[in-house]
Amino acid sequence: MDTTVENTTVAVRALTKRYGRATVLDRADLDLGPGVTGLLGPNGAGKTTLLRCLATTLAPDDGEIRALGLDPARREQRTALRRRLGYLPQDPGFYPHFTVFELADYVAILKEVTDRAERHREVRRVLAEVDLADRARTKVRKLSGGMRQRLALAQALLADPELLILDEPTVGLDPEQRMRFRALVSRLGESRTVLLSTHQTEDVAALCERVVVMNGGRVVFEGTPGGLAAVAAGRVWISDAPPSGSELFWRTADGRYRTLGERPPGGAPAVPAIEDGYLLLLGAPVEAAA
Amino acid sequence: MSTTWHLPDELTQRYAAGRLAPAQVMSVEAHLARCGRCRAAVPYEQEWLAESWERVADVVDRPALRLSERILHRLGVPEHVARLLSATPSLSRAWLAALTAVLAFAVVSARLAPGQEDVLLAFLLVAPVLPVAGVAAAYGRHVDPVHETQAATPMSGPRLFLLRAVTVLAVALGLTGGATLLFPGPLGLSAAWLLPALALGLGLLALSGRLSPLLAGAVLVTGWFGAALVCHAVLHDRFLPFHPAAQALYGAATLALLPLVYLRRRRLAPGEPRWTRL
Repeated sequence: MDTTVENTTVAVRALTKRYGRATVLDRADLDLGPGVTGLLGPNGAGKTTLLRCLATTLAPDDGEIRALGLDPARREQRTALRRRLGYLPQDPGFYPHFTVFELADYVAILKEVTDRAERHREVRRVLAEVDLADRARTKVRKLSGGMRQRLALAQALLADPELLILDEPTVGLDPEQRMRFRALVSRLGESRTVLLSTHQTEDVAALCERVVVMNGGRVVFEGTPGGLAAVAAGRVWISDAPPSGSELFWRTADGRYRTLGERPPGGAPAVPAIEDGYLLLLGAPVEAAA
Repeated sequence: MSTTWHLPDELTQRYAAGRLAPAQVMSVEAHLARCGRCRAAVPYEQEWLAESWERVADVVDRPALRLSERILHRLGVPEHVARLLSATPSLSRAWLAALTAVLAFAVVSARLAPGQEDVLLAFLLVAPVLPVAGVAAAYGRHVDPVHETQAATPMSGPRLFLLRAVTVLAVALGLTGGATLLFPGPLGLSAAWLLPALALGLGLLALSGRLSPLLAGAVLVTGWFGAALVCHAVLHDRFLPFHPAAQALYGAATLALLPLVYLRRRRLAPGEPRWTRL
């Protein structure tokens, strides 16, 4: 796998986090540079724990993080990092009695934008970015799930962060909103380091320059989306009949069968997609995948 | 319509910069409405237009100040700090209403049944707990729905916690103090809750570097009621926790905790992640 990152902005070394006996992060290594990186992995892979450590809301038990040249283990550097960080948590909470404007305004104050005129300008800017400008005076409790997710994204964009950490940002967005989100994030990635976790391989294919796959608390793939698809090269087949073995397969819209693994009887080779590489990676031993 | 006089350049510049009094603005705009030459002289840069529009938009979008923010603003608290405090869970309308109801109930009960020591004792035992409960519910993952988001901001940790804790303490002490004044009987006895409240409140702040505020509050409240129970059941004196000797003890604890909390103020960060190498 291609682990080379130019102009590394975030370096994670042997990061470990345990909850009781369960090891959620198991000596995870990772390098990030400017641009958009997608973080894929099944539930329980350790994605959210890794993102929370990077966002400085959770301390690892062992290992090191250097983000934007700063060490979050040191209090002063942690605060300095938070000044340059935008974070969308997996489960962003809200004050339901606040309006959209008030909530963004509140987070802007937490980000030390204390001058009112400058702060309100910044709030209007981010609300416009996520297409919520016309909802500025709406109470948060009256927003739909998708609108709340956009508000959560808006607060992450406040104060022009250099490092954006987005935990499942496309959850709850309809297809049109997802397209807008992709356009916004790809634009942000031109000048920033963006790390986003997702279950959607289409999101990764559409906007990420790099992709990281986690499984069992470890990073099992780090490279380009093309590299992830290439993991499945020569192992994706299309056939009229289902395979007889234990290979992973599913029926496609045209009634044929797409098989990952050994060639089924009458199977023709197919062009591998990111999803194929991802599925094979999760089903294969780490050494084989690497 | 033509006009025989024109705006001085200096007046036009001040109008464009927004530095005129409202009456002058009206006068200038009345003139501009009928004088093309002066209209052409008003700077009409995109930047100026954008700034003017922004000022208008800000007036339209600016959220109205909440009652708590208006009160804090009147007390000289900066606008952005008042907004921060308005989100404190234990300064919410529901919380304050519950606190006021508890205190009003105590005062009314005491007035309806004068001479009843039980009501006074209940008030004295509960009053020191109210500020502690308010501080415990002011900050943390379990009480604040926005905690995870704000934990990744530079204001999180000791700054925000202390800001909220001190405000909640002041509000709770103020409300309870007001109730004390309405209580029948000698003021000295009904105000005997104050020193234990201060000691418990400062004890909570001191413990918050190591425990979550909720847990620290639970420990202190349990200890307080436990001590009261011992006084009643073992020492057979229900009012022992409010005797002068006990008050001296609370005073000493308060004096000892004040500098401790001040010295550890940068480490009072409930919920702040602890890196093992620190």
